[in-house]
Amino acid sequence: MAISFKQIEDKLKTEAKGLLETGKVSLVLAYGKGYDEKHPMPYAAKNAADAANIVFNEYCAANMARYLVRYPRGTKIAIAVKAADSRAVIQLIQEDKVKREDLVLLGIPVYGIKNFKTGEIIDSKTTGGLYNPVLYDILLGEEVHGQPVNSPYDVLVQYEAMDNEARWVFWKKEFDRCIRCYACRKACPMCYCDPCFIDQNKPKWGEKSPDSQGNLMYHLTRFHHLAGRCIDCGECSRACPVDIPLYLFHKKVAKECEEMFGQAAGMSIEDKPVLVNFRVDDSDKILA
Amino acid sequence: MSFEPKILGIACNWCTYTGADLAGTTRLQYPQNLRVVRVMCSSRINPSFIFRAFQLGADGVLVGGCHPGDCHYNTGNLYARRRLAVAKKILEFSGIEPGRFRVEWISASEGNKFAEVVTEFTQQVKNLGPQTQFKISQ
Repeated sequence: MAISFKQIEDKLKTEAKGLLETGKVSLVLAYGKGYDEKHPMPYAAKNAADAANIVFNEYCAANMARYLVRYPRGTKIAIAVKAADSRAVIQLIQEDKVKREDLVLLGIPVYGIKNFKTGEIIDSKTTGGLYNPVLYDILLGEEVHGQPVNSPYDVLVQYEAMDNEARWVFWKKEFDRCIRCYACRKACPMCYCDPCFIDQNKPKWGEKSPDSQGNLMYHLTRFHHLAGRCIDCGECSRACPVDIPLYLFHKKVAKECEEMFGQAAGMSIEDKPVLVNFRVDDSDKILA
Repeated sequence: MSFEPKILGIACNWCTYTGADLAGTTRLQYPQNLRVVRVMCSSRINPSFIFRAFQLGADGVLVGGCHPGDCHYNTGNLYARRRLAVAKKILEFSGIEPGRFRVEWISASEGNKFAEVVTEFTQQVKNLGPQTQFKISQ
């Protein structure tokens, strides 16, 4: 059974229109028309007439949870969420950045979303093996069943098998290409710090010029800041103009966190993020 | 001339730093390669300290804290344990030799252990040679 993107788009329009007309929400975050079909844009519908501009097609990979924290606290927002995006929303609720009661989640069960740059289907790489939103109020369409469930960590195998030196060479080559445009930070739903550590001068955490050492400091620290919070949407790597596979490193850290602390990011609003939590019986072996 | 590593030691005020003090007052011998920075608690350690130390030329980083359960602030080192474990995994996956970073729990009465750990860690880093991967070239 193929996903009917048109059907989802229609449902999205109707729901958005209904919610805006009744005044339940003041804003619907969804996708709008870009300069061509391959480049849908993030779109905020603010009144019932705007709802007609909403689109949804197989290139709507963007994670709209990124835009939640831009609006003042208490704004009633409806947001279109795919599987990974719903985890981002859960994670933001856990971190008390948004409130559950202010949100209406329009869940989109979907597979076959494509990367707009390469046309490649992103399911196996960055959806964490999920096709249905983890949390939603209104589900647009039927739940997806029968799709192959890949372990989200399968892609890591070849990198884990490398020896240290080869891995260093690999990452150095990747990070050296970084031009420090901070698109990864802008696209990430979890990167909301103001100011970001790398923009601070006192203390100066790392070099700001796009040289290899500064890049290393920026990226490694960012991986640490997203440890146990990254929800594997892969937006960082899709936003990257020089195609650094940042999602690989994020996945690795997420995998380690899940193994060490037994909790994946953004799966339940009751959880606490792993790094602001502890268990007395955490093993000392994790430091070995 | 043989290679003498520069090692950054970050020590918690209540346990490891006092333990280092004890090692000193009991006249225990240990290598002088360690430069100790005192922090009030191991959970004060931002993982960026470690990355930055490597960038600014440290060959190894040794972090010392109270034994879990003995923290002066009750839970500080339990948070630190998780944080530093993640930092260690990140360093490993980036491809730096895992032996350059170590976390040890050393209490105020373990002057002996402090001397032993420093001796052993210094030897280990010495065998690994100078750290050039992270270092900012002048």
